[in-house]
Amino acid sequence: MTRLSKKNIASYLSLSFLLVFFFSCQKEDQVEQSLAFDPQKDHEEADGIYPYDWLSTYGFFEGDLKSLTPSQKLIEYEPASSLFTDYALKSRFVWMPEDSKAAIINDKLTLPVGSVLIKNFYYPEDYSKPEGKRRIIETRLMIHQEKGWEAFPYIWNDSQTDAKLKVVGGETTVSFVNEKGEDQVINYLIPNKNQCKTCHNENEKLDPLGVEVKHLNHEKDFDGKKINQLAYWTEIGKLEGFEGVENHPSMVDYSNESLPLADRAKAYLDINCAHCHREEGPASTSGLFLSYEQTDPLKLGINKTPVAAGNGAGSHQFDIVPGKADESILVHRMNSTAVGVAMPEIGRTSIHQEGVELIRAWINEMK
Amino acid sequence: MKAKYIPFFSLFLLVIITSCSETSNEQLFDSSLLEKRSAEEVEKVVEDFILAEDSTTIEIGEGFFDLKTQLILDSKENITIQGAGMEKTVLSFRNLKTGGEGMKIVGKNITVKDLTIEDAPGDGIKAQHTDGLTLRRVHATWTHGDKSKNGTYALYPVQCKNVVIDECIAAHSRDAGIYVGQSENIIVKNSLAYGNVAGIEIENCDNAEVFGNTARNNSGGILVFNLPGLPKSDGKGTKIYNNKIIDNNHKNFATPIGEGPNGNTVTMIPPGSGVVLLAAKEVEVFDNEILRNKTVGVAIASYQITGFPTDAPNWSPYTHDIFLHGNSYDRSEGFPDLSRELGQLVSMYNAHGKAKTQDIVYDGIFDESRGNSIAQNPMNICISEPGLENLYFTQFDLSEGEENIKSSADVSPFSNCQVNVTTDVSFISSK
Repeated sequence: MTRLSKKNIASYLSLSFLLVFFFSCQKEDQVEQSLAFDPQKDHEEADGIYPYDWLSTYGFFEGDLKSLTPSQKLIEYEPASSLFTDYALKSRFVWMPEDSKAAIINDKLTLPVGSVLIKNFYYPEDYSKPEGKRRIIETRLMIHQEKGWEAFPYIWNDSQTDAKLKVVGGETTVSFVNEKGEDQVINYLIPNKNQCKTCHNENEKLDPLGVEVKHLNHEKDFDGKKINQLAYWTEIGKLEGFEGVENHPSMVDYSNESLPLADRAKAYLDINCAHCHREEGPASTSGLFLSYEQTDPLKLGINKTPVAAGNGAGSHQFDIVPGKADESILVHRMNSTAVGVAMPEIGRTSIHQEGVELIRAWINEMK
Repeated sequence: MKAKYIPFFSLFLLVIITSCSETSNEQLFDSSLLEKRSAEEVEKVVEDFILAEDSTTIEIGEGFFDLKTQLILDSKENITIQGAGMEKTVLSFRNLKTGGEGMKIVGKNITVKDLTIEDAPGDGIKAQHTDGLTLRRVHATWTHGDKSKNGTYALYPVQCKNVVIDECIAAHSRDAGIYVGQSENIIVKNSLAYGNVAGIEIENCDNAEVFGNTARNNSGGILVFNLPGLPKSDGKGTKIYNNKIIDNNHKNFATPIGEGPNGNTVTMIPPGSGVVLLAAKEVEVFDNEILRNKTVGVAIASYQITGFPTDAPNWSPYTHDIFLHGNSYDRSEGFPDLSRELGQLVSMYNAHGKAKTQDIVYDGIFDESRGNSIAQNPMNICISEPGLENLYFTQFDLSEGEENIKSSADVSPFSNCQVNVTTDVSFISSK
């Protein structure tokens, strides 16, 4: 896995590949042409030239692929706060080439060339039993090539035996029972390869999101032991430059209700919005900057008029009206699923109720 | 200072407005008559964008392409996206379920030619961080009968450099048809904008020339704005010439029927506005036909008029260094708008009599650090129109708030000067 030139992806995209189609514009005349998604798998050699056609070829997981049992070389990681993706659960791993390690310089975490981030998106049938039967929808790989990061979406087949590279993305319907025991159906959209950069974008270069010092500088369970993730990476020889939890920034878990509301709200906005809404991100055009560190009220949207919000502004004048969540564009856009209104623009087709409530409470508390 | 201008919001609360603004759903052609391309052919276009190599042409053939995902050209150089003609290649984003714009471009030296973009939920084409963008014979429109479903901008270069928009058509945007934002070195020429809230808008830009265009049947024809709190904080240097800016009397549909303006500045534009300059700096408007815009031909306003906060770094709310000359006007079209406060201001408080269309209005808001009387023309507003004595000019005095709005028809403080506006787009004019 040393030579990292890019294959001609076009050769993978055979027309025999059948995609699941759903025409679901209107509920009353919903037509479901549910073609099985079971592309024929050819033998593929792990020749070190990325991307591979099939997820299994990378050898990241052991045994039955759908168990997602990581090989010894993978490190599982978890950001303190998680990006909402239509209630999908995620498991995340990083692989770094042998004899190389990540580094923290000036609080910026850099992974060595050759590293791969592996993120699996799945739905348990029943959220009250998250370890029970599940359906894996997609696995996204981000590969750190010589010339920078590149993202590759793999879509799982119906029989859950493997996942195939599909640069044009796709669409599927997911059913599950939520924690309250209610039946849920979500029209899940798998982004096309270039849409990845809608979020993963720093100064127009593809960039990982969750793999930042502030997101990882907290404890996680490793084999039953709670250890700071960055300390663990250091301990196993995969990180240098970490000087202890207190000496680096860290962000809270927004779902932890014992923490101050403002910290939770800003953590939520950071992981869900700030990848675009920051000076280095595509939504810099708006002047609305929502990172955890932001303290300028105007940049946070307080009494700030929108710029190019179009329909997104609804009948409201300002991004945030202190004390008045329901007159704030921020809440209006989080609380919508209409394309052109809904924020974030991609990655969700449902409303994150808990997220809306958190931001609403934060704005209502503002003076 | 600021507080004095805020009350305009509550000014006409009791006036019941039944304005008779017009609306339009005119389409250039009927795209439903084109042959529909297969799912595989549509997918091939998506792939071509994703897999594009530098210095190549992406050809899109004839037909109607029903796209379910965005077309994104990411960080590529010297690419031409070539359709078979505005009336032959149609990319429809009506069934897009995620993402804002239909086509998104980031890169260097990118050209899009000869195609139509329809029904994108957000913007038709958005180009960002692109140095060298040419849109030629690109048509972007919305075909929903209900215009409240339409997207924001038809053609939307933002944070770009060296932009040429030529022979394009932009229709039915809920904000601006051709909107160039936070960019520098811009040509918008020989294009048509109709049925939009704003026809052509230049916002927070430097060095722009807008000429040979027709902006008709929009709520506002051509706008030059500078808005606060943006990364490109202010802009200057725009020439607007040889344009037809006519019949811009379309209903302002930026917000739903029955709802007033929201925080988007364009929602305040009164139907019947020809040219609107807001917090604009160094703008020359000359040799245009500004005809039959029922509220006002040219409006010169400072940002305070919006009532929104005006504190922002490296930005000024004032409009200054404006030069109008050689334009023709026709105020024969109906009565000024009453659906927007700025329309009401013109209609009720102009210096020539209630419900009289104005050729040129100036809000008279000035920066006291530049002078202590409007009679000194501290903001350097220069009006040198032929037959000026026959035009309806109003300068408002809003310094005493809504209780005592004053106006003057005296153009003499503004009529004996010129402004030297400098633009240079010669190095992109051959593109």
